[in-house]
Amino acid sequence: MNPIISLNNVYKSYGVKQVLKGINLSIYPGQVIGYIGPNGAGKSTTVKILCGLISDYEGEVVIDGINLKDDPIAVKAKIGYVPELAELYDVLTPAEFLGFMAELYNMPKEMATDRITRILSAFGLEANMHQRMDTFSKGMRQKVLITSGILHDPDIIILDEPLSGLDANSVIIVKDLISKMAKEGKTIFYCSHMMDVVEKVSDRIILINEGTVIADGSFEELQQQQGNQSLEKIFAHMTAKESLSDAADQLMHAFGK
Amino acid sequence: MNIFNRFFLWLLLGPSFLYRKMGVNIPHLRAILTAKLMMDDRRVSGIQQSRRKKQKPPKFATVSTMFFTALMGCVFLYSFAVGHDYLTELTIYFSFYVFILASTLISDFTSVLIDVRDNMIILPKPISDKTFVLARLLHIVIHVSKLILPMALPASIYLCVKEGLAGLFPFIFLIIAATLFTIFLINALYIFILKITTPEKFKNIISYFQIFFAIFFYAGYQLVPRLVSKTVLSHYSITSFKWAWITPPYWFAAGWQYLRVFNLASPLFIYFILSVAVPLLSVWLVIKYFAPSFNRKLSMIGGSEIGSAPVKTGSKGLLSTTSAFISSIAKWFTEKGAERMSFLNTWKLMSRSRDFKMKVYPSIGYILVYVVIIFMNNKMSMASIMDQTGAGRFVFLGVIYFSSFVLVMAVQQLMFSEKYKAAWIYYITPIQLPGKLFSGALKAAIVKFYLPLVMLTSIVAVAVVGPKIIPNLLLGIFNQFLITTLRAYISMRALPFSVQQATSVKGGGFIRGLFSMLITIILAILHFMIYGYLTVIIIFCVLSAIASWLMMDSLKNKTWATVMMREYED
Repeated sequence: MNPIISLNNVYKSYGVKQVLKGINLSIYPGQVIGYIGPNGAGKSTTVKILCGLISDYEGEVVIDGINLKDDPIAVKAKIGYVPELAELYDVLTPAEFLGFMAELYNMPKEMATDRITRILSAFGLEANMHQRMDTFSKGMRQKVLITSGILHDPDIIILDEPLSGLDANSVIIVKDLISKMAKEGKTIFYCSHMMDVVEKVSDRIILINEGTVIADGSFEELQQQQGNQSLEKIFAHMTAKESLSDAADQLMHAFGK
Repeated sequence: MNIFNRFFLWLLLGPSFLYRKMGVNIPHLRAILTAKLMMDDRRVSGIQQSRRKKQKPPKFATVSTMFFTALMGCVFLYSFAVGHDYLTELTIYFSFYVFILASTLISDFTSVLIDVRDNMIILPKPISDKTFVLARLLHIVIHVSKLILPMALPASIYLCVKEGLAGLFPFIFLIIAATLFTIFLINALYIFILKITTPEKFKNIISYFQIFFAIFFYAGYQLVPRLVSKTVLSHYSITSFKWAWITPPYWFAAGWQYLRVFNLASPLFIYFILSVAVPLLSVWLVIKYFAPSFNRKLSMIGGSEIGSAPVKTGSKGLLSTTSAFISSIAKWFTEKGAERMSFLNTWKLMSRSRDFKMKVYPSIGYILVYVVIIFMNNKMSMASIMDQTGAGRFVFLGVIYFSSFVLVMAVQQLMFSEKYKAAWIYYITPIQLPGKLFSGALKAAIVKFYLPLVMLTSIVAVAVVGPKIIPNLLLGIFNQFLITTLRAYISMRALPFSVQQATSVKGGGFIRGLFSMLITIILAILHFMIYGYLTVIIIFCVLSAIASWLMMDSLKNKTWATVMMREYED
């Protein structure tokens, strides 16, 4: 089977600061990738490269047989992206905003309207479809964002902290959605800091630190390498420079106790 | 969408076949423009921002903004009073036009036309750079058209009445050319700024530009007619200025002249060609060369890419960001605890918040311009100032009493902030009297904005008039403190930086403003009447000082009951 996403020796630097130092990845259809790493590890840079937001990287990125540099538009059409921050045009209503998104994905109008209504209803937002989003709560905005990422039925879905602001019930829905979409053969690229979720959701976990991949494998494989611990512990073990419990001790000492 | 937006959309999508040839996706273009126009319509424009109540979201922002712009267009007609020939008049008109348009656009570019959210929302979608840039460009054109149609309307009517249709059509044609050229100018300026600076500083630089432009226009508008006599103006001819032909406004004016006379052999032909070719060339440049790099650069303005703030090395820890200078000032003027905290906090926010600067600095500039006008309006002699007779007194008092208006805007703005939710810190900390927060903030504003001015006027006054002015100077200054504290006592009803910008503090803001204005005028008149009587001045001086001290004290003792609380949603 050919990989749907492959990165070969991808380098990227901002000025003198090198953020990605040769990333090599092959990702296959139907995988849920948990993409994790500490702040500043290069996670969001990778995501931005995949989404075509950054074009001046070195190396090769091939998505579904298309080189990203050759035809970024064809690649973008295959990807659904749910950005981390709730970036929305919030003076629009969900129906207007998602209709706009659908047009940018070249979807026929009737199909788009039908799908938007169905997805929003499933999320319990049918009553809010024609309200301006500036009054929406964080969770409601996140639902609209997720909708905009899956609207055009993309092969690859990149989720950046998709659960932030969602209530417990919606979290269950989205997690379920992720595994169902993966079963259908879609590739999910899941970036998060919430290790317990990543542990449960992903088939394969990729841990990057300081611009390089330092661990790659299923949770079970990571456990075999690093000892039978939770992902949180493995993560800390592999990325923290100093002992974390020392830091907590220092915090307590700050009170002079 | 309203009828204007629909019309513009229809008009600009007319040459679709041309766009398609350039490699632009028409449905995408239409979708982006529709969404953008819809958003424009719901956005509160700067002019009406303070008046709008929160409960009523704006629906037809476009129409009301256009009306205001039409009023401004009437001001432009002034250029037709200069000189005898159309070449001169139109050169001035077009200079006005390009300049005002450019400055309006500079501000709109950052807030409306270049929306950083586009980077996350539109750019990951399968649209081509060309489509996106053309959409942005056409959005700019529509936005600009909504400005220039009403703006150019008065002049169009004027020319149509004087010259008929043969004068009108060339004018419309050249207005379009000048507009395209202005857009190119702005684009070039943006590219230039992005080249020489980091994206983080970009917005700051743009906002300083805006502040400068705002003050510059105001000063020009107020001062030029006063400085240059009308007879000189009406005899002025642009041809007396040798290098005028280099400037684009001259080309546009000459282009009009050429089209109006329509003599093929006329030497003006060359300018006509320039006025057409240069804008077209610049549009082509923008799309062809600026577009790709522009987008990439703009995506960096979003900020997150450059990443985490650089760690400052060599600083002595967290507390050293407060300079020794300001902390010793704080020790001087405030008491320990909440008041000093509020003073320092307000000081830092005032110096660092772009939002605050944008609101306050231009109005301070306007007031300084006014002060200059007060000087010029009274044809006073240096002698009358030195003797402090008649007009001299008037000028002195005018400057003193007027200068406190600098504080009005600053104090008014103290309550507002974009990050108004951060005011939770005041509610969760054990603060007995919120009045101390008010007094601390007020003192910070006074020290920052008024004290330098007071020192300057005092030094100048003592230097020019001599020590005999000191009693009057002191009374003037104490009165300003009295007025300011009184005004603060009345108007500061919400904690510093705790109210969202768009919402206005409900109820009688205007009446209050009028009231405090009235007090200033009454005090100034009283002062004028007792000007010559030294004993009376000294008595009033003491009284005024005591009154302002008492006023500050009661501000300090404002209780939680008098503070306008705001509810925290979500």
